[in-house]
Amino acid sequence: MSDLALSSRKPAATLNGYRIVQSISVFVIALVVISPLFMLFIASLKDDRFQILADMGSFRAFWVDNPTFNNFREVGNFAGELAFGRYLGNSLLILGSTVSLGLVINSMAGFILAWGSLPGRALILSVIIALYVIPQESIIMPLLIIVSRAGLSDTFTAQILPFVASPLYTFLFYQFFAQLPKELYEAASIDGASIFRTWWSIFMPLSLPALATVSILMGIETWNQYLWPILITQTDYARPISVAIATFFGQDSIFWDRAMAASVLMMIPILVFYLAFQRWFISSFVGSAVKG
Amino acid sequence: MASVSIDNVAKFYGSHQVIHGIDIDIADGEFVTLVGPSGCGKSTLLRMIAGLEEISDGDIRIGDRVVNDVPPKERDIAMVFQNYALYPHMTVAQNMGFALKLKGESRAAIDARVKEAAAILALDPYLDRLPKQLSGGQRQRVAMGRAIVRSPQVFLFDEPLSNLDAKLRVQMRAEIKDLHQRLGTTTVYVTHDQIEAMTMADRIVVMKGGVVEQVGRPLELYDRPANLFVATFIGSPAMNLVKGAAGNGGFVTEGGVVLPLPAGAAAGAVTYGIRPEHLTLDDAGFRAEVVVIEPTGAETQVLARCGGQTLVAVLRERVELNPGDSIGLKPNLAAVHLFGEDGRRL
Repeated sequence: MSDLALSSRKPAATLNGYRIVQSISVFVIALVVISPLFMLFIASLKDDRFQILADMGSFRAFWVDNPTFNNFREVGNFAGELAFGRYLGNSLLILGSTVSLGLVINSMAGFILAWGSLPGRALILSVIIALYVIPQESIIMPLLIIVSRAGLSDTFTAQILPFVASPLYTFLFYQFFAQLPKELYEAASIDGASIFRTWWSIFMPLSLPALATVSILMGIETWNQYLWPILITQTDYARPISVAIATFFGQDSIFWDRAMAASVLMMIPILVFYLAFQRWFISSFVGSAVKG
Repeated sequence: MASVSIDNVAKFYGSHQVIHGIDIDIADGEFVTLVGPSGCGKSTLLRMIAGLEEISDGDIRIGDRVVNDVPPKERDIAMVFQNYALYPHMTVAQNMGFALKLKGESRAAIDARVKEAAAILALDPYLDRLPKQLSGGQRQRVAMGRAIVRSPQVFLFDEPLSNLDAKLRVQMRAEIKDLHQRLGTTTVYVTHDQIEAMTMADRIVVMKGGVVEQVGRPLELYDRPANLFVATFIGSPAMNLVKGAAGNGGFVTEGGVVLPLPAGAAAGAVTYGIRPEHLTLDDAGFRAEVVVIEPTGAETQVLARCGGQTLVAVLRERVELNPGDSIGLKPNLAAVHLFGEDGRRL
């Protein structure tokens, strides 16, 4: 075999070695992420709440001898103390309202920041970015006082309105809109479109990747809200599922079996929501809008 | 249709002035090309006519109306952009009909106007396609279709052919010219390509550094350039310019070669200009050494050196020449251009 042939095989071997390390790394990371979810699902199929507790910390946490859906049935039918359907409905209502209003408000703000003739635009943008670093928890007490004084305690409005406008999502939209060709905006203004019409008819349909990204991030954030709803809701009227699951953790006893089943049920809608939008993450057909 | 009047228009970006008091009058139905190198302010001026840039000083009139503070949509203009700026999520028909839809026209009226424009531009088979499913030339035609369905008073074109390949550019050039002849709409066309300007325009405005260097009909600019910039910018290959001084016996170049001057030539000329096609092979002419020969079939370009200066001659006849050959070149005295110290034509 010639030297040339030998030397040409060497990089392939290195590449294979690299691929093996890469595959193992991906596998380990996937295992770390998936195993708690798998454990949760397995635990939800166990009938005995004390057994669940005993299995934790051993490999038995990943195995169920006699799988049963009793926990799910109990959670679903638990109409007295825990009206699961009601909480699920509340969460879905809050999710739908927050995300749809959030898409409108944040995209409008991002659009005006990107293309509007707004005095002090750079300053406003800097303030918006600066606002992002303020943790939600630090403003939660003043917010609680404002919402209570406004008479919005224990309402859906109190759980939707404060989270509709977000510096992060406004900035995401701003960045997306700003990278679209300026000529699209100009062509629309020459065609006679108002700034609202340009936003709605031209820029929004081109923003599916940004809309999907914001929907997913905002959806997950809204669905997982815990501290704010626990402070603002006093009754079942507007209480979301995340807070409801906490009721399984009583002072005297913890219903691990039902808590696990409820957690699995809580994950399903947000998983469906994610799957519905994630394909738009990748796709973008803006590239072909301009140039030949 | 309407005339466009640009009256002492200036443009500042902060303290930086990019347009310096320009005056141009464009007649109703005229095709005017703004041409110049990058950064000369031609696109800025076009965008000021469109209402996409504010006017810092002076007035722009479309028809009898001063439009300085009129938003683009109320100026009754249509613009074709360099990158087409088609709405990518709309079909060809929707792109073309969008402006009419915004005006509140009926669906039937929009369909009729779109079909009419599509027929003019041979776009009928593509009305249901998205822009991404079209070629560059087809997209450019859609952009023009979007402009013509509105029957505007003025068409504005901002380097519309720059993204097309050479062959398509020639084809589209003819189509735009034909469209103008059929519709007769006042047109302002920006390009950096002097060939486009020469072939399409009724009048050309040559710009440099935010100033108008010369305005005139294409052949006027070619035959009587007002200054050295226009002389070199218009025409390809560019005019030969030779430095020297005019004397009694002729024009003496810096290399000591004596070039013949036309009778009654103005004194004080420091630059002698002659277009390549106005040099002919003649043993009685001044001597030059052949450097490169470029036969193109229809003509032959000869690059020759004379007194330290390189000259280009375009010969209509086929000649047998080799690098290093000594040739005689004779300028057509009727086509000699003389420029003074300030670069202006004498």
